[in-house]
Amino acid sequence: MKHKFYTFMGIILLLSMALAACQPAATPAPEKPAEPTKAPEAPAEPTKAPEAPAAFEGMKVEAPNCDYGGEFKSIEAVDAKTVKFTLCYPDPAFPQKVAFSVFSIQDKEYLDANGGDSVKMSDNVNGTGPYKVKEWKRGDSIIFEANPDYWGEKAKIPTLIFRWSEQSAQRLLELQSGTVDGIDNPAPEDFATIEGDANLKLYPRPALNIFYIGFNNKIKPFDDVNVRKAFAMAIDRQRIVDQFYPEGSRVADVFVPPLLKPGYSEGQKWYDYNPEEAKKLLEQAGYKDGLEVTLSFRNVVRGYLPTPDKVAQEIQAQLKEIGVNVKIEEMESAAFIDATAAGQKGFYLLGWTGDYPDATNFYDYHFANANNLQFGDLFPDVVEALKAAGQTADEAKRQQYYDTANKLIKEYVPMIPVAHGASAVAFKANFEGAHASPLGNEYFAVVSASGVDQLVWMQNGEPAVLWCSDETDGETLRACEQVYETLLAFEVGGVGVEPKLAEKYEANDDATEWVFTLREGVKFFNGATLDANDVVATFVSQWDAKDPNHKGRTTTFEYFGAFFGSFLNAE
Amino acid sequence: MSETLKPIAENNQEQYTRHSPAQEAFRRLLRHRSAQAGMIMLGILVFIAIFAEWIAPYDPIALIKTVKRREPPCVHLLGCPKDKEQHIFGIDGNSRDLFSRVIFGSRLSLQVGLATISFAIIVGGLIGAISGFLGGWVDNIIMRIMDVLMAFPSLLLAIAIVAVLGIGLINALLAIGIVSIPRFARLIRSTVLSVKELDYVQASRALGASPLHILFNRVLPNAISPLIVQGTLGIATAILDAAALSFLGLGAEKPRPEWGLMLGEERNSVFNAPHLVFFPGIAIMFTVLSFNLLGDGLRDVLDPRLRGSTRG
Repeated sequence: MKHKFYTFMGIILLLSMALAACQPAATPAPEKPAEPTKAPEAPAEPTKAPEAPAAFEGMKVEAPNCDYGGEFKSIEAVDAKTVKFTLCYPDPAFPQKVAFSVFSIQDKEYLDANGGDSVKMSDNVNGTGPYKVKEWKRGDSIIFEANPDYWGEKAKIPTLIFRWSEQSAQRLLELQSGTVDGIDNPAPEDFATIEGDANLKLYPRPALNIFYIGFNNKIKPFDDVNVRKAFAMAIDRQRIVDQFYPEGSRVADVFVPPLLKPGYSEGQKWYDYNPEEAKKLLEQAGYKDGLEVTLSFRNVVRGYLPTPDKVAQEIQAQLKEIGVNVKIEEMESAAFIDATAAGQKGFYLLGWTGDYPDATNFYDYHFANANNLQFGDLFPDVVEALKAAGQTADEAKRQQYYDTANKLIKEYVPMIPVAHGASAVAFKANFEGAHASPLGNEYFAVVSASGVDQLVWMQNGEPAVLWCSDETDGETLRACEQVYETLLAFEVGGVGVEPKLAEKYEANDDATEWVFTLREGVKFFNGATLDANDVVATFVSQWDAKDPNHKGRTTTFEYFGAFFGSFLNAE
Repeated sequence: MSETLKPIAENNQEQYTRHSPAQEAFRRLLRHRSAQAGMIMLGILVFIAIFAEWIAPYDPIALIKTVKRREPPCVHLLGCPKDKEQHIFGIDGNSRDLFSRVIFGSRLSLQVGLATISFAIIVGGLIGAISGFLGGWVDNIIMRIMDVLMAFPSLLLAIAIVAVLGIGLINALLAIGIVSIPRFARLIRSTVLSVKELDYVQASRALGASPLHILFNRVLPNAISPLIVQGTLGIATAILDAAALSFLGLGAEKPRPEWGLMLGEERNSVFNAPHLVFFPGIAIMFTVLSFNLLGDGLRDVLDPRLRGSTRG
């Protein structure tokens, strides 16, 4: 008996010791990586101080030739305040591209110290923007405080807090009860409630997006263009927009919204809703006895798709009418995006929100991007038309190329364009300067309210990191946009491009050389002054696959690839 | 006069006719108040489930293209204009008739309850019987495994099992079945342990009956009544668990009319279309309540220690 008791006690003792051993080991672990990040930073400042007054040594990174498949030929710091980009081919949309927040400028020393690691850089955020990050309580909120040394107009409200919830009902409830001051994407059916409430104000977000039903032409049965066409005729797009989209949305006929010209083909119509014809086409394709397909989607609310699971079921029921049995597969957001981009899904719901207001942003990523396998094989003639359009500066000529591309896309049906969805943000009525941006980059530094020193914003999801060079998610980018700045920026709440870190810029006649002159007196949070080398280093960290800072979070740098083609020194 | 005499005569006769214990229990059950309520509710449910096709006015998964989605209920008797189609529970978020969906949901819920609990009773009962009857290290091992299973919160374990097996109604059923096994295993084991020491079992053994014969013909029949009670109550829990799994999107696939799924899909419209969560919620409550009332009644009736109180 006693023997047993001692064994038992012994085991308990051992277990508790093991537990005790685990715990202290776990706590210092996160501390450790934090220290080395700080350590190199401290000496970074002194090295910089004596360097600046001395002769400026400009960096220059150059591709040996343009055969590597990317847009950049060279990036050069001409002097401390001048950066010159030389391109391999004309790019009229270059200002819009560099205004996108993925290309925010970072201090070179800071970038070197962290090896370009987005996750590390999120722990100790260093930017130039109107807000600094005070604290990121993971899973709960991000607290920003106004940057007292900001070069431009300082943030009007001293404290900005980001919170998130994927439930639109919860977001609205918190707004109504006053625990948050602004929310993103209220549900369409709540628009009337918000408009009827004198304390709240709804700001409609103009549609710069597309919701489409994608096909992969390498996965059966969608390898047959007649099946894709049949589906296109069997789906009543008007009904989907009427039933599931808020006011201000419209049925899509081509892949880009009418706001984008050149790009939008006036007068081109998509296939009419015609289930009988669809049935016939299916029969011709050899599916007389019906068909089983799986429809994949992610249940994430976006401006282009306010009610994903409802729309999925609507499509399921509509296709049932032509004898197609649809199995609905709901996936986790990131897994879904990865699977479609890798070409593993044959039939799926997806959409796109414009990052910069140019048709290339919509077309090139989807239909002329060899890295993107979501539609299976690319269509060479579409690629040709889009590439030509992207490199033409003359608007009428460009539009002609896009008209050709749109006709071909209709013929090949790689996807069914369904809707350009309107969405909205809602704020308490007393907040001035509140706005909804068509690009989804609401800028909170201009928002103010009398007697209020804190603004709580609630969006759909938590940002992944706080350095966005390697990010695509709008929820993440919006947080970065409060802290970091780009050479040029979009107007607040608009799509026009205006100077930001660059005071002015000029291009040569065929849009292959772009020279930016940087603003004086811009300081990073760590005290470093902005110079041309910072700009070069930031761009090179994304462009050059061999650069030590080419790390990010996943090292895919999806936007860079989509905007500027291949990486330098890529394998 | 003759009319009043007749029942007395019958009563007298009854006193002397022998009833099997099962008949006796059933008679008591019919007289038990909460069991009566439970049985009536369950009767209605079973009726609805069997005749769903005739009761439901619409196809539960077909779109009704003439109405707006999430329209509130329209009942002609309550003043809804006659020129509008009648939808007594309103329209759901995908423009389908909610009443038809709730009606068809009863089918699924009853099937789920019965299937999972039958599975749990058969597997759990066998495990428990073997464990209790053999005793020793077999008992020890089996019961420790059951302890481990019981140590997890049942819904969480079910979610884990679904995560491994993949999403789908069948997998959800399997998960709930597995989660319910330990309860029945323990129950059977404890009754087997007490029953196997009784004299008639010893007598049977002395007469040279094989262990299997003793287990199935002597021990198990006498351990069955607590199982019936637990089973009935277990169905209620199983239906709730299945609804919870579907609510989380791990159970029934869209567009199946499953009550939990209907709740989960429309949980965001609690404020602007409350009928969409109200009716499926009521349906779940009604079903679970009916099984609970019946289970309570069964326990009162079958437990000899409580028998006195039910008579009055």
